[in-house]
Amino acid sequence: MSLMALREQLNVLVNSMFLEGLLDQQFRQLQMLQDASSPGFVAEVITLFCEDSERMLTELTKLLDQAVVDYQKVDAYVHQLKGSSSSVGAQNVKLACIQFKQFCEENNKEGCLSALNMVKHQYYSLRSKFDTMLQLEQRIQAYGSEQQN
Amino acid sequence: MEEVEKRDEGSHDGMLEGGVEVRVLVVDDSPVDRRMVEVLLKKSGAMFQVTSVDSAKRAMEVLGLSEDKTKSPVVDDQKVDIILTDYCMPEMTGYDLLKAVKEQSCQKPIPVIVMSSENEPQRINRCRAIGAEDFIIKPLQTNDVLRLRSYARTGLPPPPPPSSSSKAGTKRKMTIDLLAESGGSGSERRRPRLTGLAMA
Repeated sequence: MSLMALREQLNVLVNSMFLEGLLDQQFRQLQMLQDASSPGFVAEVITLFCEDSERMLTELTKLLDQAVVDYQKVDAYVHQLKGSSSSVGAQNVKLACIQFKQFCEENNKEGCLSALNMVKHQYYSLRSKFDTMLQLEQRIQAYGSEQQN
Repeated sequence: MEEVEKRDEGSHDGMLEGGVEVRVLVVDDSPVDRRMVEVLLKKSGAMFQVTSVDSAKRAMEVLGLSEDKTKSPVVDDQKVDIILTDYCMPEMTGYDLLKAVKEQSCQKPIPVIVMSSENEPQRINRCRAIGAEDFIIKPLQTNDVLRLRSYARTGLPPPPPPSSSSKAGTKRKMTIDLLAESGGSGSERRRPRLTGLAMA
């Protein structure tokens, strides 16, 4: 596939993610920070976000599995996940975290469990599209470095 | 984490001569946010030298501050021109760090800007009350970062950002009224950016 076609495919993917509400304008900020001096910036931040999110989702699952839930700890993780999803423009994940925080504040275990499932659902939907995005980014970068050689 | 070099003291005339970089210490427990802020600072074109740490405790070490208040800190040898810290962090918060920095006995404590995802007047007031130079709502944008240089250089208030929704003209004031209009936290674009009274 040509470089132009790869870029077009990436654009179509990203645009669809905006339309579906997976991403918001903060993601555009991320894209604007990528340039020739930091060609892998978007990929780097997405990767960091995914690693960090999965770590937090694991901790949240453990915490909500306890007989007595420590809502303060749960809230701290949800807060951080909300923050990082906001920073990368992961809109649906962020919105799901806002809902989650609500249930935390109410010390509502059922609500929290349901909210955690929603956050996971939103995160994994996003993650799958991010994976495709990263693959396309890698191929585009590889094209760029081939052309330089 | 990169080492910060000692700055040439005396560049307080507003314009940094000879391309002297402003040394920023970024404090944030979120790896995503740390990276975002680092790159924002570096790409702003405003010549920042960035050191970032993942906790307020680590920041205290970098700053040479001791939690033991009976020990006097080595404050004349400032390695950092400005501190940009997250508010919500485990163990030691950004507020605790701000307090520790401002409690230094030296004449000019390092400027501290607090970042938070929460647009809460009480939180902002608390920080301003103990000397925070500014309070920025996350996620940070380029024009947030460009303002930082003014705090580091001269200690005078920066000009208002040209594209902000400011009602305040050339003066910046506590915008509790704007907060009420914006409907508080949770909005997808954090407006307004809140600052305290910056007039001397």
